[in-house]
Parts: sequence; structure tokens; C-alpha cells
Amino acid sequence: MNSLVDRFSTTSAQSEIRRAQALAADDEEFSDAAWGSEAGFGSLAKGVPTFSVPSIADPSAFLRLHTDDHADPNCRIKIQHGTTTLAFRFKGGVIVAVDSRATAGSYIASGTVKKVIEINPYLLGTMAGGAADCQYWETYLGIHCRLHELRNRERISVSAASKYLSNLVYGYKGMGLSMGTMICGWDKTRCRVPAVFYVDSDGTRLKGDLFSVGSGSTHAYVSTAAGHRDAFSGNTCNLYHIKEDGWHFIGNYDISKMHYDGPGDVPGGPGKGYGYDIRVEGRSSANPPPVAT
Amino acid sequence: MARRYDSRTTIFSPEGQSFYAMEAISHAGTVLGLLAKDGVVLAAEKKVTGKLLDLSATKEGGYGGSGEKIFLLSSNVIGGLAGLTADANSLVNFARNAAQQHLLSYDEDIPVELLAQRLCDMKQGYTQFGGLRPFGVSLLYAGYDPHYEFQLYRSDPSGNYSGWKATCIGANNGTAQSLLKQGVKDAIGLALRTMSKTMDSTTLGSEKLEFAVLTLDPVTKQPKAKIYRPSEIDALLEKEGLAKKDEDTEMKPAA
Amino acid sequence: METSFAITGKGYVIVAADTTSARSIIKMKSDEDKIKTLSPHLLMAYSGEPGDTVQFAEYVERNIRLYHIRNLYALRPSASAAWIRRALATSLRSRKPYSVNLLVGGYDTSEHTPHLYWIDYLGTMSEVPFGAHGYGAYFALSLLDRYHDPEAPLEEGLATLRRCIDEVSKRLVVTPGKYKVKIVDKDGVREVEL
Repeated sequence: MNSLVDRFSTTSAQSEIRRAQALAADDEEFSDAAWGSEAGFGSLAKGVPTFSVPSIADPSAFLRLHTDDHADPNCRIKIQHGTTTLAFRFKGGVIVAVDSRATAGSYIASGTVKKVIEINPYLLGTMAGGAADCQYWETYLGIHCRLHELRNRERISVSAASKYLSNLVYGYKGMGLSMGTMICGWDKTRCRVPAVFYVDSDGTRLKGDLFSVGSGSTHAYVSTAAGHRDAFSGNTCNLYHIKEDGWHFIGNYDISKMHYDGPGDVPGGPGKGYGYDIRVEGRSSANPPPVAT
Repeated sequence: MARRYDSRTTIFSPEGQSFYAMEAISHAGTVLGLLAKDGVVLAAEKKVTGKLLDLSATKEGGYGGSGEKIFLLSSNVIGGLAGLTADANSLVNFARNAAQQHLLSYDEDIPVELLAQRLCDMKQGYTQFGGLRPFGVSLLYAGYDPHYEFQLYRSDPSGNYSGWKATCIGANNGTAQSLLKQGVKDAIGLALRTMSKTMDSTTLGSEKLEFAVLTLDPVTKQPKAKIYRPSEIDALLEKEGLAKKDEDTEMKPAA
Repeated sequence: METSFAITGKGYVIVAADTTSARSIIKMKSDEDKIKTLSPHLLMAYSGEPGDTVQFAEYVERNIRLYHIRNLYALRPSASAAWIRRALATSLRSRKPYSVNLLVGGYDTSEHTPHLYWIDYLGTMSEVPFGAHGYGAYFALSLLDRYHDPEAPLEEGLATLRRCIDEVSKRLVVTPGKYKVKIVDKDGVREVEL
């Protein structure tokens, strides 16, 4: 009965997805470059994002070997669990930093993944957990943020956008969605302040100043060592700054290079690497008795 | 003339959709309600009478009352009905269901006004949609709840309801209401005296009268509804000096 | 671990809940308010499955508010608790039950008495003089058996609550850091610092 209602109702989430998918199917021209970046509008209109497949005879058998499929058959594949994403709020806006490694089990599927989803020019969503889930639903969120603008002649608040997403994923609770995301932005109309909301597939939604999500988050909460300590995070780090006029992509940094060489000539930076052995170079805990002279 | 508008019942007529229903009630037996400090009183005139009517069931058993005009809707609300008896029975059933539904959801007796609202929501629906006939029933609700304590409401077929200190529905309700304006000191006495003046027959007796009071139990502080049995009504009339005299014992056939 | 307490006293109920939101071993937030004001004289502390808690609490909040708007008076604490319990009991047999434990504390303005209801995710409800959820309950309940006084003035009630919190901090392995404390009495709802 419910499924019947869903099929014919015009407002349910599922029917909206179906319409979006139908739209995507009509669109013939499609290249791999259309998802992810391109102001976040590429991926939904296209429906399914594509991934590069390992160049071997039987990719699915290969993946089964390298994922936790054998441990839990209900979970056919676990993608992109290893991640570090970080976002915090300050006077000058929001800083969002994410790593770029995509793993499938212990297999590194990609080293150049964009884990920041540009929902629209002033909203960013981060990606941890299932990459497809995050990409799909955050892009879907982007559509609704735009519709909100058209209907209300006003930008959607970060609070409302994150609530929309959390209500949406809560509807799918227990059905296998896996996402941990931070919705970041700068409210233009109401409180005129930067805001960060943490939303995950349990349905949890938290307002806060600083969050870190992903397997590397425990390290990230403490320092910048996540890319170094967490095997599933790494490669490069994408950095965004959200200001009053929307988000700005600051740059892509090599995590290992940062670890060993530091950020370069940055005000307030250490001037050298962040790594332990570099930071403590030449220092020792040895306590030899003073040499008699 | 209402009839010009009757081809579609959802078209407005100047008299209102409940015109015929209202008509039906103005011929029904009078029901009056009085709000006192420590309780509420309902009194009703029975129309269905006669020597051949089998009243044995109303003498004992049940919760009192002869089941024509006054009903227990919930443990804290008694209802007095005027109008088409068949429609009234259906409404009583609905009201009892609504009250139990509330008890199930909230573990408390339904607030009196809420019960009135529940019935009026339904009554209103029957004035709005085509192909349906409004309920030809007006009701008095005498009840108690902790929010507003003792209360008296009346509702009509259109779905309007209002709260009163003393009010009356059915035939002669204008006469009764002007009598009630004298003010309430002894609610039971005033109710009975007003009934005796407005009813067709000159004297009162249990075969033409139903009577009920709702008070608080002095021990439990819970509302206690008492719907009088015929013998209790006669005793009460005796006490109030309104009992019929011997020469009136011979009943005229019911009109 | 998530912990909430509530105690009644002379004309009031105190409700306290920790302010941490955890995800596995990580504290995601340390100033989360887990006590909702449902109506002018009604408080509800909620804990349990992440996601379910807020969704259910908001569902309850809106329904109680709707009743208030429709009827001009708020639902009484006893009736509110009965309704909430039924909502949970109905949910328990649904496809996806809410896993939420509650402490509902309120002041009945028509009979001038404070009421406290302990409700769990199975739809069990009982009216109690004091109650607790979470691991903290193991310590707090025995302590309250010893020290709770139904006629305690507010200051004494707060002192007893402080005892509970201190005991949990002392004995529980993973203890919540901060608590939010709210009071409901004849004047309505207010928050206090311990």
C-alpha cells in the first residue's frame, strides 16, 4: 500500500528521486568529468556517478577479496570508510578540509577523490562513509536548496538545509545508508553567521563549532596527523574557506609533503614539517650525567 | 423558502442548511440544564408515554433513566438530547466512543468541551457535504473536568456549540430560558419548577420526566453522575412539592 | 555514557540530563540540550538511539503543542505521559520502533502537584518519586532510596541531585562531563546551574 502511494504521490522523496532519475536518463551527453565538481550540478542530473574499475579479469571477485563482503554478506561492499574530514567555524567563516583517498576495503580505489561536495555556491557538504550515498543525497539536497530559493525568494539557511538532509536520511534508517557529513555555510538572511552542522545516517544532526568525521577523525580532533596515522586517509588534502560571499577553494595540499616539509611560508605556520620526527629533530630524552671537566 | 435551494444540498439557503433539522428540534421534548456551584442538573420532558409502554426495564438495572432523553456519555459527562430519537442514539454512540478513545489515549476523562467539539465536528460535516442529511438533534452536555470544573454546553444540528450557566433546548425553550434568567440558587428546585411550567401537562410525574445531576464524590473528589430512576424522580417531586395530585392519576393518551 | 535523572520534591520536579552526544567512542558535542520543554509546565528528558531521540522528542513536542493550541489549555502531565507512552507502545510493534527512553516531569496546575513518569522504549511507564536512565541509574537509584525526601524544599532537592551526579562521576568508568538541569514548578519551567 505504501509503495503504491509512493509511486503515485507527487511529493514523497522517492518519487522525486524517480523523477530526477528519469531526467537523467533523458540526458544523452555525459562524461565522467560531470560529477563532483562543476559547482555540484553535474552528478544528479546524470544520475549514477561512474568509478574507474580495476584493470583485472574479474573486478567483482577481486573486490570481494578485498572488502568485508566475506565477513558480512548483507554488506555487499564497503566503500570509502577510511576518511578524514574536518570543518570548523570561526569569525572569518568556515574552514573545510578533507583528504582525497578512496578505499574499498584495504584496496585504495583512488587517490584523487573530491570529498567536498559543492552543494551550491555557498553550501558545502563533506563526504565520509559511502561515497555514493553522500554524493547522491547531497546533490539531491542541492536541488531542494535551489527549489527553496525559487519558492521563497530567499537562500535556505544552513540549519534548514541540514535538517532537510537529516529528515531524509532518517527515513532510510536501518536500510543500509552510510554517511557522515558536515553541512557548512554562511547564513545570509537570518543570523548572518557561519554555521556547521553534523548529519549522519543514524539521523543524528548536531549544531557545533568544530566537527571531524571519518576513521581519521580521532587523530584530526587532536592534531593534523590524520593523513599520516590513519591508513585509510591520505594522499592529498583539499581545503575550502567559506566567507560571506560563498565558498572558495583554497588549494590541494600533499599530506606527506605537509607532514615532512610543512605548509611553506604561511603566517603562524611552524616553518617546517608537522611530523613528529621533524618537529623533535635533534631533541632527546637522554639524561646523561654532566661530563666532568 | 428553503425548498428552492434543495436540489443540491451543498448550496446555501438563507435559512441555513440545518433548517429542517432545527424545525424537528423545535417540536421535541424540552431538555434544560442548570449549572450550579457544586454540580450540574439536567431535566428532560419525555414525549413517548402511554399506559401500554413497557417501562419495566427502566425501573431497575442499568445506570438509571429511561433511555429516551438523558444518557451517560462518559463517567464525567451526561448528555440531554432533543430531536429525532434515532439520530440521537447514533450521536450517543459516537460520543461514548469519542470519550473512550480519549480515555485510551490520555488515561483521563475527556474534557467536557472537547467531547462537545468531537460531536460538533461530525455534525458540521453533515451540513457541508452533498447527499447527506444533518443530524436532527440538539444536545446538552453536563460535565466536569479538572480544567474548568463543572460545565454546561449545548450544541445544535449545524455544529455550533456554546457554554451556558443555564439553558434549554427543544419545544418551549424560549419560555424556559426566560424563567431560568431569574438566576440559580437551588438548581434542582429551579429545574423542576421550570419544567412544570413549560410542559404541556399541568402536573409532573416520572412517566413524563427524566432527571439527572452530576456532582463530585465527597470522598474520591471524582465526578459522580446520577441519572434518577422513576421512583427516585417521584420521591424528589414529592419533596419539592410538585408531585401530581390524585385526580390527575388518569393519564391522557399520548399526543 | 548517557545518563539522566529526575526527582520530585515539595511542589517541583527537577530533571537533569548529561550534555554529551557521542558517536562510538567519540564525543561529537558537549553542550547538547537533551531536555525538551513540551508545555509551560512539562519537561521531558530523552536518551537512546541517535536520530530516534530527536525525531521522537520533536514528534511529541509538536503534538503536545497542537493540543495546547486547539484547546487553549495544555494537556496535563498525567495525560501527556499516557499519550507519550502509547506513542512508544504503538511504535514498538511497527516496522521501525523508536528506541527512546524518557523521563517526563511536570506540574499539574489544576491539582497543584508535581508528577514524574519513568518511561522506557518498550512503552513501560510508571509514576515515580525519582527516576533515572542510563548507567548512572545504577548508582543514583540506590542513593535516592536513601536520601530522597518527597517534602524536600528546592535547595535540598538540588543538593540531592548534586550527590547523584557526584556519585556517578566517582564510580562510573565513562562519566558524562556536564549536566543540564531544569526545574518545573507552579511558576513554569526554568534552567539552573548546579
